[in-house]
Amino acid sequence: MASDSHSHSEPGSGPAFLLELDDVRAGYGRAALVLRGLTVRVPAGAIVCLVGPNGAGKSTVLKVASGLLVPRSGRILVDGEDLTGHGPQRMLSAGVAHVLQGHSVFREMTVAENVLLGGYTLRDKALIAERADFVRALFPVVAERWTSLAGLLSGGQQKQVEFARSLMVKPRVVLLDEPSMGLDPKATGVVFEQIVRMRDAGTAVLLVEQNARRALEAADTGCVLDLGRVHIAGPARELLADPQLGELYLGGRPARR
Amino acid sequence: MPSASLVFQSVVLGVLLGGLYALLAAGLTLYFGVMRVVMIAHSAFLILAAYLAWYAHREIGVDPLLTLFVTVPLFFAAGVVMQRLLLTRLRPATLTMMSVLLTFSVALVIEGLLGYAFSGTQRRIRLGYSSASIEFFGARIAVVKLIAFGMAALALLGLYVLMKRSRFGQALRATIQHPDAARLLGIDTDRIAGYGFGLGLATAAVGGTALSLDTTIYPSLHWHWIGPLMAIIVVGGLGSVPGAAIAAMTLGMLQSLLQLELSTTWAQTVFYVALFATLAVRPQGFFGGRLAQRF
Repeated sequence: MASDSHSHSEPGSGPAFLLELDDVRAGYGRAALVLRGLTVRVPAGAIVCLVGPNGAGKSTVLKVASGLLVPRSGRILVDGEDLTGHGPQRMLSAGVAHVLQGHSVFREMTVAENVLLGGYTLRDKALIAERADFVRALFPVVAERWTSLAGLLSGGQQKQVEFARSLMVKPRVVLLDEPSMGLDPKATGVVFEQIVRMRDAGTAVLLVEQNARRALEAADTGCVLDLGRVHIAGPARELLADPQLGELYLGGRPARR
Repeated sequence: MPSASLVFQSVVLGVLLGGLYALLAAGLTLYFGVMRVVMIAHSAFLILAAYLAWYAHREIGVDPLLTLFVTVPLFFAAGVVMQRLLLTRLRPATLTMMSVLLTFSVALVIEGLLGYAFSGTQRRIRLGYSSASIEFFGARIAVVKLIAFGMAALALLGLYVLMKRSRFGQALRATIQHPDAARLLGIDTDRIAGYGFGLGLATAAVGGTALSLDTTIYPSLHWHWIGPLMAIIVVGGLGSVPGAAIAAMTLGMLQSLLQLELSTTWAQTVFYVALFATLAVRPQGFFGGRLAQRF
């Protein structure tokens, strides 16, 4: 796998982690807490994957990290700076981009409009054009379907438009919520290839996946979530090789290797 | 059977009427598209703008069109304030339903204030060109109807360009189509929604002024308008501005043609017939309106 050749976290240069969620408690309205003292750390240039059963709070982790949901307690640090309590605008300018679960393209707008809106906060037209060229080269489908209405694209193509849109601001970490949901195996393969390519281009990825085995194969680090806490964290390859973990969380199939 | 020239006259009047309806309904579509708000008070604001045009003409003798320079910014600001102070206080889960009650009460307040300030007397603007008409291939067209249509066409064109070309328009459309994704791109969706609401009320200022040129107004007139306008946006597909424009044109034309054979009152029923037919056959509306599925 492409992850084998990759190394991360150079000691001595700045904080050890790009994104840190520290002892976070969070929930929706008056309902019970979803996250109960969760800690997740994402090093620069790495893919960190969250796996776990439904209702473990995986999507909530991403919503807290991007500012969509303000935690009840705990801290969120981006590159060492405490940004707890800030909304999506501030998190985005700190370099955190979030691609939502399901389809979140603007369906009645063209692919071009979608992608260019990704640069909404940039304001500089020349810079937006330059970034658009960059993401079009990274995602050929986006360039091919540039003038189509985004809602007319297939699920896999829409996902790539969403990726391209989120990369317009050159984020330092991208939060991906179930990117393979609803995609056929071929489109899933393309999406995972793109995720590895994003990482190789220097963007860290915090990935939530139902398709745990596939995700861990692409990831550097894996975290197993259950009941709002991280149960086990470690190098993705070790988690894949653990037979007990495979039984509990990865669909029972023993790891091949 | 009416003569060919009479039918032609009705077709031309139908186009002019439909254009005006399109403008009057555009605001309703915006409120619903942006915030899922059913804005019962929209027609009350139309009548308010008509009254302001009439009052300015009577007191200082200015042409009603000139009042737009005051009423458009004023209504825009009122829309922003109304959204930020009133509508954002409603719980998101019940927003659409409660917005009916809230804006219903706003409509009553406006009607009451108009009655208090100007009494219930029927009013009409008398202009130098009020009774002027031009000949168009045998059809007689009142100049004021042409002006009203021109205002509607210009306002809708402006709205279209704003929505398609401007940074604000892009942000507003993104907010309509996927609010969470819009927030994640750094769009301040609360502020944009406020401006979107203001934009809707600004169209009411133009529409009301256009209406005042050719209509006798009285404080409770808005009840007469809200039904047909609501019917138009449902037929067009809730939240779809082009859909509302097409529905407005079609229904305006039908109403105008039906007036040849039926009384004015019966011709009006075309809106409700179309509404029932739409809800029975195609509840999401006939044009665009994919948004309606998220209702």
